[in-house]
Amino acid sequence: MLHTRHKIEYDPTNCVGCKLCYKACFIDVIRWDEEKKQPIFKYVNECAHCNYCMASCKKGCITVVPDYSSQSYRQSFDMYR
Amino acid sequence: MGQNFEEVRESADILIVGGGIAGLTAAVSAKEKNPDAEIIVVEKQTAGYGGKANKGGGVLQYFDLEHMKPEEFLQYHVHAVGCYLGDQDVMKKYVAMNNEMIDRLAGWGVTVPQVKIPTGPMTFMFGIDLDSTLKMAAKARKLGVKIFDKVPVSDLLTDNGKIAGAVGYSILDGTFYVFEAKAVIMATGSQNYRVSEMWSCGRGDGIAAAYRAGAEMRNTEFGNFGQLFRKESLHEVVFGENNMYNRLGENVTKNFRRFPEADISATALREWYDQMSQGKGPIYLHQPPRPDDGGFDKIWPRPYGGPFWKEQRREEEGKDKDMEVIPGLVGEQSPVRVDIDMKTSIEGLYAAGDVCYCGSGGPGAVPAPPGRNRGSGILNAVFNGIVGGESAAEYVKSAEKRTLNEEQIAKLKEDAYAPLNREEGIDPVDVIDLIQDVMCPVENSIIMSKHRLDICMRKIAKAKEMVKELKADDLHGMLSCHEAEAMVLCCEMQMRASMMRKESRGWFLREDYPMMDNDNWLKWIIVKNEDGEMTLHTEDVPIESYDVQPLKF
Repeated sequence: MLHTRHKIEYDPTNCVGCKLCYKACFIDVIRWDEEKKQPIFKYVNECAHCNYCMASCKKGCITVVPDYSSQSYRQSFDMYR
Repeated sequence: MGQNFEEVRESADILIVGGGIAGLTAAVSAKEKNPDAEIIVVEKQTAGYGGKANKGGGVLQYFDLEHMKPEEFLQYHVHAVGCYLGDQDVMKKYVAMNNEMIDRLAGWGVTVPQVKIPTGPMTFMFGIDLDSTLKMAAKARKLGVKIFDKVPVSDLLTDNGKIAGAVGYSILDGTFYVFEAKAVIMATGSQNYRVSEMWSCGRGDGIAAAYRAGAEMRNTEFGNFGQLFRKESLHEVVFGENNMYNRLGENVTKNFRRFPEADISATALREWYDQMSQGKGPIYLHQPPRPDDGGFDKIWPRPYGGPFWKEQRREEEGKDKDMEVIPGLVGEQSPVRVDIDMKTSIEGLYAAGDVCYCGSGGPGAVPAPPGRNRGSGILNAVFNGIVGGESAAEYVKSAEKRTLNEEQIAKLKEDAYAPLNREEGIDPVDVIDLIQDVMCPVENSIIMSKHRLDICMRKIAKAKEMVKELKADDLHGMLSCHEAEAMVLCCEMQMRASMMRKESRGWFLREDYPMMDNDNWLKWIIVKNEDGEMTLHTEDVPIESYDVQPLKF
């Protein structure tokens, strides 16, 4: 899953700045803007769509939209078909 | 540039590297055993949210000791899973501590439900919520454990052959940290090469730090866990291996098992390779298994796990045109060698959790949890955490204060920041890409042969040269460089030990040596860093001293 094309949609309308999405990210995709008190989706091309940021947000501000075609398990299908 | 960052020094009796379930269990256990001990947990992301337990740990496998004895599970496990390569004393201790572990988890605030369902011949599982690690982190803080988040540890410090602490850096502002400690517990998880989502935080940097410090590694060749995934959505299909069919409609599960088993085996992944290479693929499941289709949430209410799994199912809906499955690498290399008290080969250095599952020798010829026992990861981490935490807590009572070697610190600091100081160089993603190219194909890491391993070794040699020129644009990139370096190292340990083991045993399959060879290969392969060179040697498994012996026909 190097450089995926998953998207993280963020609607700040109901965001209370609780930081849980930032804390929930276990691979440093999400950083935190201390001034605006909002998440920064800084390394989104490394997102593993684990969905934990989305599941942790109690205000429903985050939607993860996966693009499965950007992932691969690198098996040699074509060679065997 | 590295010299411009602020330097901070911290001191503790015990430094725990990793804030997942194993590290937090170790912290709480050590504090309970020795309340006077000063304990620091350093986590490269956020303690309580880091690690794998809160991403996939929806179920916990345990043993019902009212209806079975530890010796009975040992008999089953040694014959069916560990294939005589295990340290049976470690396995027995793990099972015997089952009730104590569950009670202590509950005592620490983790919700332990009463409803349980069987998962295998002698195992049961119950669902626990994904917030178990958050509760553990809260408990650790309450006991006075100091936690540093967003600080990866890059290397360990030593003093005359004993552990003396560790160095690391903040990925937020670059601050260089020097942690002085009489004991260090590595709880940094397994090596998973950034392939599968749930496991993608395990990048082997803790394994690499322990290796560089001189710690012995054991069973490095068992870092090739894989399972079946749906071809389009790449969602895992647990238990799918029990109903695999080829393009001709033939049941191919019958080729590698006679009855449904508790979990996937390497032979199921080999069957995919065999069918595909015979032109009989693709492989489909006829009865799509849905082990967590929402029903579990009715049995075990999970405030975190419920929404988490609901999202997984929403994503998956309608994405797969059919039930074609493919093998996918997970990895789970967990080779830091520890004894029955979780001591590594370096005095003062301990390990817990998936960094040392295979290194403990306990499970034998199978990769880290699930290790053919679905849901066993959390309890194994709790086992290691309790034992390692208490051992370290006892050790520091009489251990003398360490002397830090300033020359060593300066060198490790220079090494850590080197990728940031290069004006030109190689993107770590290019190195990881090459390593995934080695590790991912099932014919390289699951069903191996000398010919293919030779090709892998040539690619690894290329990756080792690339590592010398790694360049980072920022601190996040610097961490990626260190992780890429760890992946190259772990991959080399995996492949060199795989070349050495000339037999097939348990999860380990060689196409050119298809039989288990108890005459010549009841041996562990030990990997060590000696003056910068990777050395491998074997050590006999003391099978005569164990309860369970190989079957003789």
